[in-house]
Amino acid sequence: MNIRLARGGLLLAPFAAALLVGAVVLLLTGRNPIDTYGLLLAQSWGSGSGIANSLSQATPILLTGLATAFAFRAGVFTIGVEGSLYFGAFAGAWVGFTFGGLPGFALIGLAFLAALLAGGVWGLLPGILRARWRVDEVVTTLMLNFVAISLTSYLVNGPFLAIGTANSMSPVVAPEARLGSLAPPSQLSAGFLIALLLAGLFWFVMSRTTFGYRLDLAGSSPRFAAASGIDLRRVILIAMVVAGCIGGLAGAIQVLGVNGRFIDRFSPGFGFTGIAVALLGRNTAIGCVLAALFFGGLNNGAAMMQLFSDIPLDLVNVLSGTVMIFAVLDFTRIRLLRHAGVTPAVSIAPAEAPSAEAGPGP
Amino acid sequence: MTEILYNSLVAAATVSTPILLAALGGAINRQGGIVNIGLEGKMLAGAFAAVVVSWQTGSVVLAVLAAMLAGALVALPFTLLVTRLGANEIIVGFGLNIVVAGLLGYLLPVVFDVFGTLAPADLARLPRITIPVVEGIPIIGRVLSGRDPVTYLAWLTIPLTAWFLYRTRWGLRLRASGADREAAEAAGIRTMRWRDASSVVAGIFAGLAGAQLAIGVVALFSTTMTGGRGFIALAAFYFGAARPWPTAAAAFLFGFFDAAQVRLQGFGVPVQLVQTLPYVVVVIVLTAVAIARQRQEMEAVPA
Repeated sequence: MNIRLARGGLLLAPFAAALLVGAVVLLLTGRNPIDTYGLLLAQSWGSGSGIANSLSQATPILLTGLATAFAFRAGVFTIGVEGSLYFGAFAGAWVGFTFGGLPGFALIGLAFLAALLAGGVWGLLPGILRARWRVDEVVTTLMLNFVAISLTSYLVNGPFLAIGTANSMSPVVAPEARLGSLAPPSQLSAGFLIALLLAGLFWFVMSRTTFGYRLDLAGSSPRFAAASGIDLRRVILIAMVVAGCIGGLAGAIQVLGVNGRFIDRFSPGFGFTGIAVALLGRNTAIGCVLAALFFGGLNNGAAMMQLFSDIPLDLVNVLSGTVMIFAVLDFTRIRLLRHAGVTPAVSIAPAEAPSAEAGPGP
Repeated sequence: MTEILYNSLVAAATVSTPILLAALGGAINRQGGIVNIGLEGKMLAGAFAAVVVSWQTGSVVLAVLAAMLAGALVALPFTLLVTRLGANEIIVGFGLNIVVAGLLGYLLPVVFDVFGTLAPADLARLPRITIPVVEGIPIIGRVLSGRDPVTYLAWLTIPLTAWFLYRTRWGLRLRASGADREAAEAAGIRTMRWRDASSVVAGIFAGLAGAQLAIGVVALFSTTMTGGRGFIALAAFYFGAARPWPTAAAAFLFGFFDAAQVRLQGFGVPVQLVQTLPYVVVVIVLTAVAIARQRQEMEAVPA
């Protein structure tokens, strides 16, 4: 029982640390942290429209969180979901503004298919490099994010720039391609339900199927997994492609559900917040849902707070960055370190994810 | 066309400085066994400190020192969390980038009453140094002369870093701490301290990079001014396998891309495609290195 309590406490530690760091920043700049947090909470979850907007904000990061968690579970350390998100968003938008004549269901289905494909291919590339030649996926996925952002930027500034717009964005998608709104006038779309459905699927696959079990095993003890006949290369490829697919879907849902078109550099780091969501949710489906709700509420609350008070939106980044850092701290190690002088290999809890190797490259 | 490339080269000598400094810092950190993905945040902190101190004191020397201190201050929690608490370096580096950007974005409106950009009037800037004889040399004269002192310092840092890492006892200990922790510990080297020291040096270098950006190139601070240079620096030291000379060469190359892209715009070369070059180059280089490594391994194993 005590161990359980302690474990529960550790799960909440990142939140507590973030709120504390935020409180110090607020106090030092002469703001009242309790009032601020109260306002934040009231704005994000205190009213119907507040809740709807918080859920809308939670949608893309739940998807990118699930994408990242899937890869982490398989022991693949991808930070490239952001890149897949961009390509998925563009592919979804392209279908939406190109095939306007199709009926809604077919159009949305086709847009999702294109997004899954585009995101998956973008994940496959570093996947092959890692599986075939053991190229460190942390670096390649990070680098390919910037390539994806610039390439899609090129697409909407050159070949696909909407006629009559000075800003870099694609044409708007056909009205039939837009996802249904769940609570007008908020931006909450059916995309949220798709994200929840995917979280359910994630749970089912990971805890109720042999496939999920093998994936977990490959992530937590790769040597044992290899010895028991699991093809680790295949696991790496699957993990990278699936993470890419989900990332691509996140992009398309943002386009069809919220923005209505592809906008240059539209993501405020959905893919990166997804990493925080996965870490905070301990790479589980339910954990990701809770973490996405937390960050969704935070983003929405802070955006509203900026309107009603003089507290800038940037405070949220201080909180989410802190959450991210504290989510990977291993508190059990503090005591051990007094005795051991050597740090064990870095790890991502709970699955051991291969990190960038120690020492300079060959 | 030749003139455009030459002008790009002249511009690149200054434009590449922040990338060069951050990349050398990142290389030292990597030699110490830590991948520093948080150079961006340290650079931003340095840029902010440089602008505020230059504005308040009017002294660029103090401003540069403050920037180095700011970089070191961000590096300290980064390295302690990684070495003492076993936190994943990639996540902590990323997280700190977000925290620093958030904190500075928060402070600008709350403390300085501006949004996004802090541009005090008559901000003291780094001077340009013209070297009398060198200036007159054809072609390279304009590249070498007329730079700010931090740029010259950055150039000087390349041989110094190489000398330190490969020719001094401390450099050996640092590399040993990074290459094989257990063996180094067994040899009596306090690896954690050396790894921490390498992170702090990386922080100081990145802070300096920020100062050059803020009071050398322009005379303002903006929360987006680093514009991914910390990640281009990461690409540079991966390109150079954390060795000072190849890392510096990559930093100059990427600086040249940066300078050329603006000038090539008029010729129909899309800026966005040029921007992808550093990242594409690094992925290709890493892949080539990995393939070569695998070939070697296969040859080493007797058939």
